[in-house]
Amino acid sequence: MKKPILLIAFLSLVVVSLTLARITLVNTISTTGVALVNIQNQIEDLKHQNEILKEEYLSEAAYTTIDNKATKLGYAPVQTQIDLSTPPPLALQ
Amino acid sequence: MTWRYRFTLFFFLIIFALIIMRLFYWQVVRAQELSVIGQEQYDEQVVSQAQRGEIKTSDGFSIAADKLAYLVYANPKVVTNLQSESDTLGKLLDIKSATISALLSEDKFWVSLKPSVDNSVEQKIAAKKLPGVGFQEETVRFYPEASMAANLLGFVGKDENGNDKGYFGLEGYYDRQLSGKNGYAVEIHDAAGHPILAKMNDSTVKVDGRDLILNVDRRVQFILDEELKAGITKYGAKSGMAAVMDPKTGGILAMSSFPTFDPATYQNYDESLYANPFITSTYEPGSTFKPLVMASAMDAGLITPNTQCTICSGPVQIGGYAIHTWDDNYFPNTTMTDVIVHSDNTGMVFVGEKLGLDRMLDYFEKFGVGDTTGIDLQGEEAPEIHPKDQWYPIDLATATFGQGITVTPIELLDAIGAIANNGKRMQPEVVSAVQTSDGQTIPIPPKEIDQPISATTAQVMTQIMVDAVNNGESKFYRLKGYDIAGKTGTAQIPVSGHYDPSKTIASFVGFAPANDPKFVMLVILNEPSASIYGAETAAPIFFSVAKDLLMYYGIPPSE
Repeated sequence: MKKPILLIAFLSLVVVSLTLARITLVNTISTTGVALVNIQNQIEDLKHQNEILKEEYLSEAAYTTIDNKATKLGYAPVQTQIDLSTPPPLALQ
Repeated sequence: MTWRYRFTLFFFLIIFALIIMRLFYWQVVRAQELSVIGQEQYDEQVVSQAQRGEIKTSDGFSIAADKLAYLVYANPKVVTNLQSESDTLGKLLDIKSATISALLSEDKFWVSLKPSVDNSVEQKIAAKKLPGVGFQEETVRFYPEASMAANLLGFVGKDENGNDKGYFGLEGYYDRQLSGKNGYAVEIHDAAGHPILAKMNDSTVKVDGRDLILNVDRRVQFILDEELKAGITKYGAKSGMAAVMDPKTGGILAMSSFPTFDPATYQNYDESLYANPFITSTYEPGSTFKPLVMASAMDAGLITPNTQCTICSGPVQIGGYAIHTWDDNYFPNTTMTDVIVHSDNTGMVFVGEKLGLDRMLDYFEKFGVGDTTGIDLQGEEAPEIHPKDQWYPIDLATATFGQGITVTPIELLDAIGAIANNGKRMQPEVVSAVQTSDGQTIPIPPKEIDQPISATTAQVMTQIMVDAVNNGESKFYRLKGYDIAGKTGTAQIPVSGHYDPSKTIASFVGFAPANDPKFVMLVILNEPSASIYGAETAAPIFFSVAKDLLMYYGIPPSE
């Protein structure tokens, strides 16, 4: 009975190729966990920064804050209104 | 040879049987237990917290949002220098040093020192590198404008399971929309504890809460807050409230009440301050109610502005009671316009007699008196009107000038808004749109509830209310050059079955510009001490706010 040399060689090649592929893949994937942790940390960090900046922006842009600062600087609310529909004083015409 | 063969076979069978039995024990008998132990080793359930939606004013500014905060805790077993650490933490956390010292002296491995600590304070403490002190991240609700519109917003507290829950105002009414849904995922770790990317399993995706876009204009709210606060102080009132609404859409532009609370630190305030009095408190509206009764009688075709009152020459006797005018001045044969201008109670009794109980109650229903307006705020109440068979002639008479009948401020504002809006009554709405987490905006369209009076009647009534402002008791405060429709109100407060003449609810309701109203506003002061009259207390606040609003909207004088 003739030995199926070609078939054995082919199957051996397949086994070796698959083994190599598995080793490569496992090696590649094994570091993704670390990369994932790093990315997650970065996302958390950026989220924190974003939250803090948002809080600062909202605090500074609040009318109550602006009003307090304006009062401290000596600004006062306008008490009179200007009516542009009435004719200007004669001296200005 | 046979016995060797048999012995080997028997030996292997025994071995296989033992292996199968052992495998059965691990795989079947203890399978569940081992599965749990295994899962604990490589599984971790990760909760992805949904972010609570923000509440934004019409200019897109967030007046309620989440912010990062920290729970400061300590392990007392690790603390080395108790006194020094207590002093440092006490100063930074604004807590007495003795309190911190007592906490750090406890025989525990974990004690909470202070929740909701700001990021800046956390950084200062972290920089000190105090042994045993740690931080746990948390999110807390943040209100950049502090107590501005606090009663409108409500606050976020905890439910029975310790989860965030909105109470009162918008936070309460829209809690489900704002909350969103947490996401849960199982993260599988390798032996080193690193997550395995290929094995990430998203079981449920989180859905962030929806943002609310309000009709509230931050500038209008700020003006109203400042003017009302100043007015309450100036006129020595116990409390006060006011609201501004767009009569054409029913959009609430501002709503304010004092005293109030800071929603971020609501625990420090009395619980009675949480409810929004503008939608929950009931009061007798007094003369601010007269335009509704007058408009009803005109709409029914029973009177005209020039109809003369035939019973106004002196006090009117009804069922053993004498009805006087507020200043005991009487105007025989006065016209209906002047009844409103002089706020004449006897003239209103005349109108009531013409209108009759049945028609008056029908119009009350159309104006929404005795019913909730449906405003999108938690806790709205509506005082009931007596059943028809429980009305006596004196009740009908006093109801015409707003005594003996109760309403909520929002009811009155909405009803007067109908006069400003050509007779159409709109549903008051605080939220104009809802924004989903993926950026989709769902508008909430204005809703017309009813048309209690015709457009013609509304215009005639508006003109009468303009005359009331120009020639009535509040004429000294009116804005020259502008047509503003309004009515003062001074209602006595019922105390133990009678009215206390020294205690009043002073109010002013009106809208401007009269020919094309941009806003309708109601100002109420509770028991002002500088003067009991609405014309001398609530009216100046109304006109002061109206002046700022007309300038803000860029509306020039018409004269």
